[in-house]
Amino acid sequence: MSDSTAVLTGERAPALAMARRFRLGGGGAYFYLLPSLVFLALFTYYPIGFSAYLSLFRWNVLNPEKIFVGLENYLQLWREPLFWLVLRNNLFYALGTIPMTMALGLFLAVLVNQRLGAARSLYRVALFYPTMIPMVAAAMLWVWIFNPGIGLFNYYTAFLGIPRIEWLYDRHWALPAIIIMSIWKNFGYFMLIYLAALQGIPAELYEAASIEGAGAWRRFWRITFPLLTPATLFVFIVAIISSFQVFDQVFVMTQGGPADQTNVLTFYIYQHAFRFWDIGMGATLTTIFICLLLVLIMLIFRYAGRRVYYEAD
Amino acid sequence: MALRKRLAHLPTHLVLGSISLVAVTPYLWLLSTSLKFPKEVFTPTPRWIPWPVNFGNYAEVFDRAPFGVFLVNTVLVVTGILAVQLVTITLAAYVFARRTFRGQSLLFGLFLIQMMIPIHATFVPNFLTLRNLDLLNTRVAMMLPFFASGYGTFLLRQAFRQIPQDLEDAAVIDGCGGLRFLWHVLVPLARPTLVAFGLISLVSHWNDYLWPLIVTDTPDVRTLTIGLGMFVQQESGADWTLLMAATAFVTAPLMVIFLIFQRKFIESFMFSGLKG
Repeated sequence: MSDSTAVLTGERAPALAMARRFRLGGGGAYFYLLPSLVFLALFTYYPIGFSAYLSLFRWNVLNPEKIFVGLENYLQLWREPLFWLVLRNNLFYALGTIPMTMALGLFLAVLVNQRLGAARSLYRVALFYPTMIPMVAAAMLWVWIFNPGIGLFNYYTAFLGIPRIEWLYDRHWALPAIIIMSIWKNFGYFMLIYLAALQGIPAELYEAASIEGAGAWRRFWRITFPLLTPATLFVFIVAIISSFQVFDQVFVMTQGGPADQTNVLTFYIYQHAFRFWDIGMGATLTTIFICLLLVLIMLIFRYAGRRVYYEAD
Repeated sequence: MALRKRLAHLPTHLVLGSISLVAVTPYLWLLSTSLKFPKEVFTPTPRWIPWPVNFGNYAEVFDRAPFGVFLVNTVLVVTGILAVQLVTITLAAYVFARRTFRGQSLLFGLFLIQMMIPIHATFVPNFLTLRNLDLLNTRVAMMLPFFASGYGTFLLRQAFRQIPQDLEDAAVIDGCGGLRFLWHVLVPLARPTLVAFGLISLVSHWNDYLWPLIVTDTPDVRTLTIGLGMFVQQESGADWTLLMAATAFVTAPLMVIFLIFQRKFIESFMFSGLKG
């Protein structure tokens, strides 16, 4: 971005360039950034460093004075089976939601993108509205739908030959229930992102392919899918970050239960910090959480970023 | 010919129609339950049409918890966040889009990092910060962490960069530089982006839960989402018609606005990823 400005500056009248550079001098730019930077520093950067620092201390209800313990908190987590169960649950949730939400989003975007007349905006509203509902409200609604006795879910799935399940009360089915609900809540947003990207693909490409005799299936895999890679990368990153943020559903639907089978990282942090008042451990988990997020995103950019075609920025 | 074309889309309509129906079912069930009498809920087969209709659930929800106060608090919090965000992101996006300065890419990177570090990853230290500032259990506490937006800055920077440099050069020569140019030229031209960001910000903070849950503990400052969560705990085991009425009420304001301005909403959310 700085390159283009520099090129432009060079092409223009030197006096103007001088004037512009003059106005830039004296830290003017930083003045404009200051309001944002104050809040970013206080609520994004400082917390990262502060939790890394606090993670080295024992600081809880029993020890109201901070005691330096080095990496003791990390070692304690390493030996804690529940910590590994929580990570497993997060992984399970990510694997359960991300591929399905992305596939559904893409599939529906391709369908909705066709010339469907007036029905099209009806479909868009019907498929997108779950995004507008607060997650807490959606979670509450699905507690009712998953009700084992008179819930809608068991009633209608019975027609498909699926046996009655206790869902949120069953240790094997509670997490899948949360996954089902989350897919319903989120696929509409991904559909819209794909829809936007689809509208950016020139129609001539499809016409040319049709003339060459490529069928719909081939056109999708040879044109649509490759040209959607930037959108897919964006959706994938959003999906990963938001899958790690899962909290509201767990809080409302199961409180991490039964037997911690739906306990996830955010809820585990919440428990330590605000139920057990163990701030040191909460900070340790927070630090692990942030590291996990950053490593994942770096990995995605390294391995997927290369294959993505971007328009020249 | 036209008919044949229409028939060709028939399978698409069938697939989309049935998936849409599945997607809409939960919300219709919510509304249906919220309008029933408690006894009507326990039927062996789902009864979709609530008859006789019982609007009393909504009134009773208001009697049992101050949902009116929750609504006012929510509106105050989301508009407060947005108002400050618009100032911070406009100023930051301006210099990122139109100026060159030392450390620009580094600083821009720092802004982008915020998109990857959600409040879910920082709520413990942020809680301690607010406790030290003695701001716990205030509306400001619910807003503070969101006043700067890396995402908004990014979106708006893209919009500002679309505006030709010649315009700024001409304005500078005429003596309309800096903040005046920003206010009188760039901001009006970037209106679609500002509206899109505004809607996304309003919706996402309307739906915030974790952060308000942690920093509030009395009903007078709580927002709708927290109010609903508390109501559910307070009435646990109570009848589903009441719980669904409360849930429906919490979703209602956004749903109504969404249905009226659905085009604008959908365009805004589409736009949010396009520039990502």
